[in-house]
Amino acid sequence: MNSTKLLIILFLLIQPLSVAMTNNLNIDNNRLVLLPVKSDPSISLKIWFKVGSQNDPVGKEGLAALTAQMLTEGGTTNNSYDQILDKLFPLAASYQADLSTEMTVFEGRTHKDNLDVYYSLFVDQLLNPNFKEEDFNRLKNNLLNYLNTTLKYSSDEELGKAILYNEIFDGTRYAHVLQGTISGLNNLTIDDVKNFYKKYFNRNNFVIGVGGGYDEKLVKKLWTDLQKLPEGEERKVEVPSPKKIEGLNVTIVDKNTNATAISFGFPINILRNHSDWYALALANSWFGEHRNSSSHLYQVIREQRGLNYGDYSYIENFPLAGRRTKPPTNVSRRQQIFEVWIRPVPNDAKHFTLRAAVRELEKIVENGLSQDAFDQTRKFLQKYVLHYASTTSEKLGYAIDDKFYGMNGSHLKSFRDAMSKVTLEEVNNAIKKHLQYENMEIVFVTNNGQKLKDDLAANAPSPIQYSSPKAQSILDEDKFIVNYKLPIKMEKIEILTVEDLFK
Amino acid sequence: MFKKILLILLIINGGVMLSQNKIFPYEYSKVKLDNGLSAILIPMESAGTVAFYTVVRTGSRDEWEDGKSGFAHFFEHMMFRGTERFPGNVYDSIVTSIGADANAYTSSDLTVYHLNFAAEDLETVIDIESDRFQNLKYTKEQFQTEAGAVLGEYRLGRTNPRSVLFEELRNLAFDTHTYQHTTIGFEEDIKNMPNLYEYSLSFYQRYYRPENCVVLIVGDFDKANAKNWIEKYYGNWKSGYVEPNITPEPTQTEARLKEVVYEGRTLPMIAVTFKSDEFDVNNKKFLSKIPFAELAFGTTSDLYKKLVLQEQKVTFISAQPGMTRDPYFFSIFATVKDEKDIDYVISEIKNCIEYFKNNLVDNQKLENLKKRNKYSFLLGLDSPRGVAAGLPQYIALSGGISVIDSLFTNLEKITPEDVKKTVNEYFIPERSNTIILRGKK
Repeated sequence: MNSTKLLIILFLLIQPLSVAMTNNLNIDNNRLVLLPVKSDPSISLKIWFKVGSQNDPVGKEGLAALTAQMLTEGGTTNNSYDQILDKLFPLAASYQADLSTEMTVFEGRTHKDNLDVYYSLFVDQLLNPNFKEEDFNRLKNNLLNYLNTTLKYSSDEELGKAILYNEIFDGTRYAHVLQGTISGLNNLTIDDVKNFYKKYFNRNNFVIGVGGGYDEKLVKKLWTDLQKLPEGEERKVEVPSPKKIEGLNVTIVDKNTNATAISFGFPINILRNHSDWYALALANSWFGEHRNSSSHLYQVIREQRGLNYGDYSYIENFPLAGRRTKPPTNVSRRQQIFEVWIRPVPNDAKHFTLRAAVRELEKIVENGLSQDAFDQTRKFLQKYVLHYASTTSEKLGYAIDDKFYGMNGSHLKSFRDAMSKVTLEEVNNAIKKHLQYENMEIVFVTNNGQKLKDDLAANAPSPIQYSSPKAQSILDEDKFIVNYKLPIKMEKIEILTVEDLFK
Repeated sequence: MFKKILLILLIINGGVMLSQNKIFPYEYSKVKLDNGLSAILIPMESAGTVAFYTVVRTGSRDEWEDGKSGFAHFFEHMMFRGTERFPGNVYDSIVTSIGADANAYTSSDLTVYHLNFAAEDLETVIDIESDRFQNLKYTKEQFQTEAGAVLGEYRLGRTNPRSVLFEELRNLAFDTHTYQHTTIGFEEDIKNMPNLYEYSLSFYQRYYRPENCVVLIVGDFDKANAKNWIEKYYGNWKSGYVEPNITPEPTQTEARLKEVVYEGRTLPMIAVTFKSDEFDVNNKKFLSKIPFAELAFGTTSDLYKKLVLQEQKVTFISAQPGMTRDPYFFSIFATVKDEKDIDYVISEIKNCIEYFKNNLVDNQKLENLKKRNKYSFLLGLDSPRGVAAGLPQYIALSGGISVIDSLFTNLEKITPEDVKKTVNEYFIPERSNTIILRGKK
């Protein structure tokens, strides 16, 4: 018997043991994610409820967000919110409800020393929310302020992305932002929140995640305590089917800006449990690894031409990209898009930059990756993926996502393993199969919308002026970009005014 | 802020001070080269990863010449443009091939270059990092292109009302000191950057010197190897640091107030600030404002409960004590829900300060804060990055991390009486600068 076989047999022998251990707890394996790290002096708790903004009732968009906030930023029947803040304060611990389209994860972390106090606050908050009018008003107002002012006027990049999702998922429950809509929020009553809580925060709709230096008794207790949640069931929501995009559709958000934010993309039918995923992830990493100068788009637009601060691409949802350097966890969803994020460029370079970016997308789709690019990216990801989850809490987040996607083992481990096996051919096949450049939604947040509309429809040349001299090779390439054909029809360009958004 | 301070303090001996038990599990050692470079080595278990930080004790504070604001940050970008041995694309490809997570940031008092990577790549990282600090080389063309990216970054910031508020605040509060501008710099200076190639060379020559830099290594590595590599790769770096010629800020003699309009829509924001002193570990008056920020304006303060939770007139309030190399200010920031309440909120902030001029902060709350900071520190130690990230500020302020020892000891001794005294001395109208920012209608 060779050693590999022996290892496999040993592995098979060990496997049932660990299942049996879990069974000792009498907890359904599908509802439990454990990540013991004995040396970790902290304990991470994550309770994943299978509910997200996709569950907002029609006309009440924002209900999932408000309910999640009421659970973590409101009082309970035992403690008012300010009492909770006082009790958490000396522990330097907190908890929050992370909402995404399909998930709500109630999560927090504490030092072992403080587990008892922390645990009782944590569970009390889930089991005994008091849904008080004053908390309801405060939190609803915060959400309305976010839609009315912050999102519309304080970050053109976030705005552009919100509109991109809005357009791609138009007509589905993925379309609205997590915070809902203005009319949806205005329609909400405190009874809506109470009913939503009963319906979704029920004892059959969660998965427990515990990580760090915990004791098995904690898991048992948590499971038992959460059985006090309302009776109910898991409610499945259909996977959204976004409409087919034909040609290039452009949405221009017209507002007074001193720079232009651009986002574009299209739905892709691939999730991380798909056999092509790691190959496509490698291609995407080369093309646009998030916040990394190894991104090819970054090289073309920022490094060589100095047009903006960065340019990246995604095959999985990546909210609040401006605020994080690594992929988030627990934002899993069953329908993903391919997305390109162009950080603000000078207003007079917007048409040129779109051309440059789409042209690069065309090149990767038509030509695939070179051997060099492939080798380098493979090597890069083998180690870079280590940084995606460096703490217990982050690893636990990934483990919960593994459950969501029904992964066979750890995604991050599979990711690293795949990098030593994947071939260039597989990568280029995955590109061909999943990416394209002819049918996309494109969003600009910019001024002079009508002028841009005319230019785009006319396919007018977009000459570029740099504030500094550029190498001849760049100028030569620019000649192709300036006249690069983007077939956009006048009737496929829509101008929106910022005041009217998110109604 | 307080949380961060304690983070560092406890690394040295905070646990002993707090509970008579040593709570920080890592010991560190310091290497000092003849050329003046210091390296701080903190081995810790970390599943094979290492954090490598280079702290340059130069930030926007050091931009003392006219028309050069924003240069320290801009220069941070240039540091990625390579050397003769490792040109920019080669440097990038090495960093990429070892799968390192690399980045940099600049603030008022420092510029930090950091990488996280697998432990086996430590020598490679020391090699490429030491090389760019000694032999940086870029063309005029590359220099000018990078200026475009910085302008892009500035534009990005201007779409955020908080950045606008902060920029206006600095400009209002300082007349002669370089804290007058923010790290990104004045717009006209950024626009002129492409013309400053020659200046950039002199900037590098004066500030990127071993006496002005500290290297920090945290994680799974062998101390003896690391020490040898530091000596080998940094040993030939020539000293020659030239101090900036910063004009001290004259004493402010009357209250200042400015109303500004943000070119977009936003909830009104206010900043109320009071000039205080530079970081000095032995200045009790200075140290006492650190707990005051949390106790008077944090989420467990009476003011927070009143304005945010009960009256719901404010959506955000927070205070920063301000810890800098030169005298700076204590600041209170608030976002107000309705314009008509701006004056009311400002008066509530002032009333709160007046209250603490005459009344002591609650001793139990002060003790809770000390406990909080202990756990905050412990929870932050979850990776080499977590340990390393809190240190640069203290290195910038004092040149090392040993200052934390005495800082911690002294903070532990702060009493409610000390806080009261500090409020009475710093928080007077002639030291104040107030900004009211409104969105465009």
